[in-house]
Amino acid sequence: MTMSIQLQFDEKRRKAITQCSRCGFCRAVCPIFDLTKRPITNAHGKIILLKEVMEGKLPATEEVAKAMLRCTACMNCTVNCPSGVDPQEIVKAARRDMVDIGFDNLFKAMGEVVEKYGNIYGKEKRRDWGHRKERAPYLLFLGCVGAYREEESVKETLRLLDILKVEYTMVDEVCCSGVLEDVGYKIKEDLARRNIQEIQKTGANTLITTCPYCYRVFKDHPSYKDLGLEVKHITQFLKDFDFHVKTDKKVTYHDPCDLGRHAGIYDEPRQIILKIAPNFVEPRRTRDNAMCCGAGGGFRGAFAKESVKIARNRLSQIIEDTGAEILLTECPSCLHNFRNAKRQKQKIEIYNLTEFLAKLYGERTLGEKEAA
Amino acid sequence: MIKKLIEIVGQDNFTDQLEELVPYSYDASMNVHRPDAAVWPETAEQILAIVKFANEYKIPVIPRGAGTSLSGGVVPIRGGVIIDLSKMNRILEVSIENRYARVEAGVVCDDLNRELAKHGFVFPPDPASSTVSTIGGNVATNAGGIKGAKYGTTRDYVLGLQVVLPTGELMRTGSYTMKCVSGYDLAKLFVGAEGTLGVITEVTLKINPLPRHAMTAVATYARLEDAGKAIFQTMTSGVIPSVMEIMDKVTLQSIRENTDIALPDAEAMILTEADGFTWEEVEAQMEVVLGILKNNHPIEVKTARDEKDRLNLWKARKSAYATLARVSNSFVLDDVTVPISRIPELLVGIQGISQKYGIVVATFGHAGDGNLHPQILYDEYDPDQVERTEKVEEEIFKLAISLKGTLSGEHGIGLSKAGYMTLEHDPVEMDLMRRVKKALDPNNIMNPGKRALDD
Repeated sequence: MTMSIQLQFDEKRRKAITQCSRCGFCRAVCPIFDLTKRPITNAHGKIILLKEVMEGKLPATEEVAKAMLRCTACMNCTVNCPSGVDPQEIVKAARRDMVDIGFDNLFKAMGEVVEKYGNIYGKEKRRDWGHRKERAPYLLFLGCVGAYREEESVKETLRLLDILKVEYTMVDEVCCSGVLEDVGYKIKEDLARRNIQEIQKTGANTLITTCPYCYRVFKDHPSYKDLGLEVKHITQFLKDFDFHVKTDKKVTYHDPCDLGRHAGIYDEPRQIILKIAPNFVEPRRTRDNAMCCGAGGGFRGAFAKESVKIARNRLSQIIEDTGAEILLTECPSCLHNFRNAKRQKQKIEIYNLTEFLAKLYGERTLGEKEAA
Repeated sequence: MIKKLIEIVGQDNFTDQLEELVPYSYDASMNVHRPDAAVWPETAEQILAIVKFANEYKIPVIPRGAGTSLSGGVVPIRGGVIIDLSKMNRILEVSIENRYARVEAGVVCDDLNRELAKHGFVFPPDPASSTVSTIGGNVATNAGGIKGAKYGTTRDYVLGLQVVLPTGELMRTGSYTMKCVSGYDLAKLFVGAEGTLGVITEVTLKINPLPRHAMTAVATYARLEDAGKAIFQTMTSGVIPSVMEIMDKVTLQSIRENTDIALPDAEAMILTEADGFTWEEVEAQMEVVLGILKNNHPIEVKTARDEKDRLNLWKARKSAYATLARVSNSFVLDDVTVPISRIPELLVGIQGISQKYGIVVATFGHAGDGNLHPQILYDEYDPDQVERTEKVEEEIFKLAISLKGTLSGEHGIGLSKAGYMTLEHDPVEMDLMRRVKKALDPNNIMNPGKRALDD
């Protein structure tokens, strides 16, 4: 289908698109290009498409809209671009434009589900996680992926906070809905207001998130500007704690894109890991050059098969680089994608860092009981 | 055509969808033209079948690696089928005992070097695009890089090739040996041929032991002539540094104004490196180089031997391209090369041309082998600037030739420089080149329209 509507590009976007020198260096880091070898899936290919749309050489077609969806917004191209282009911002803006001119994508339905059920999976019932206190200084926010897809991991995270005697409470949370803005739609203001009200009722002064994406939304999105709480990712919150557990196993860490490149949080998880795992090794691609697991930017929702293949590639790369027995991360989406990707014969164990800590405490208690 | 191509490579490795073809209409130059289709073959046999078919129906085929070319070399100016070699990316053999590596054409340069590094070896040519450039592309453009003066270019490492010939045969040529004069050196004929003579599917490369130590120095000069003297005195001193880079005033100014890198107000900066098997060897070389740098009235000279200091000294040079790419909407990056002693004349001449046309040209590059990169900055949406930029480019080519230089040291001719071939090559040579092309590719299907071979 070809529509004759032309996109409007303001000066800032014209500049951003023209700035790409087509050097193609983004090929080296794009997780989707790595999989497909098709230039249209790479940042440089998408920017060329938009350049032609901008110059009126190419109509804004449904295929262009589809091409824009094939991006995990991992930002690895951004940090490696010699010309200073931020392709994921350009792609996100293009997704909004494409929706505006009538090319709705499958996330429209997700938006409706989120609005109706308050979570991205359309679940009517939410597990009761307990931990309801009238008042507490800390509030823990789980986010959809953890609460509905990685329940065991969340359970362990809660147990860790209990072991560490953190005074925290939880609320009837609904989806922060920030991700909708990455895929062409708007944040759900009603949900944001509901979250703010529920959170403020607790009188907490610090909001702790386990999900790096929720962290970014609460911290930076204008719809949450009246939140009035300090927002911390759980790794920031835990970095100064003393942990009385240790592991001799070889441990490595995967930087989630939303926590690392998007939020600049690289050191805190490592500070925690170094306290408990002296045998820690970095993957070759790490910190701001860590390869994406393939889950972000709506990519897992839109292209589930490709997404899990990317996770498989990243996981194999980590195993090959490090020979680690334990892979840690702290993002429910990365965790979920890696666990789905892991092959039976791969011996590596994959945990969220907080989950792994709780597990170590569990083993210690067990050891003490046996000794007694 | 569509049916036949799908039959050969399979539905998943074929496209003729407009949007997928758009990125294949470009490289990193300003040339644009749509192909009719693109394929991602996975074996040499598939490529053989494609080329046979293309030759029968006289359809242009354009082999493509990472598409980082700066000359329009992979832009399908007459349409046709893009053969993207990215999926042929297996390292077939690393033979340390015989000092060679055999790879499929789509292997990425840095991926090969990561594998070789495990054995303490390296494939030395290091184009700036080595994180993405493919070995096949490196061979087809005879890619060079920063270490050309000491370690040469891709040509010096190609031992053998497997090539699909335009007439539809699969040929192995060259050897697995360090020496070979058995017959014509056909392998080298395909090196730098920019895909006009056949599709390179496999490459056997000579590999080198990795140097264990390196020491870096930077010197800045208030007078270009002094920097020029320092360069050719070094290159004739008996020591061949592994790196000998120069950046001109405009480049330095742009870096100073657009980054937080502190640089003196100088006419030129030289960055040099000596490498070797032992520290003693490196220090002995560096002593000679430093003596020369200091004797030629520098503003300052700095040295580094640990990794952190080294990276610091490299910072300005590494940021040159990026900084210049950010300050302008568009640019042309050329690669004229002159005999080493003519570098100061080339730099001064380029500045004169730049001023004459009111177009900013920043020049940096590999002084040790005379290969410079004038980066011409302009706005592609301003027709007047486009016209002036073309004139600047033409005058720079003429200047380089007048200094006994060449149009291209490492990027190739492609489309951008095709019109200037006769500046450098006389009618006799042009005629022989065209006859070679015709002999190998009678139907002119291989990357047609390039390097003034079929005008």
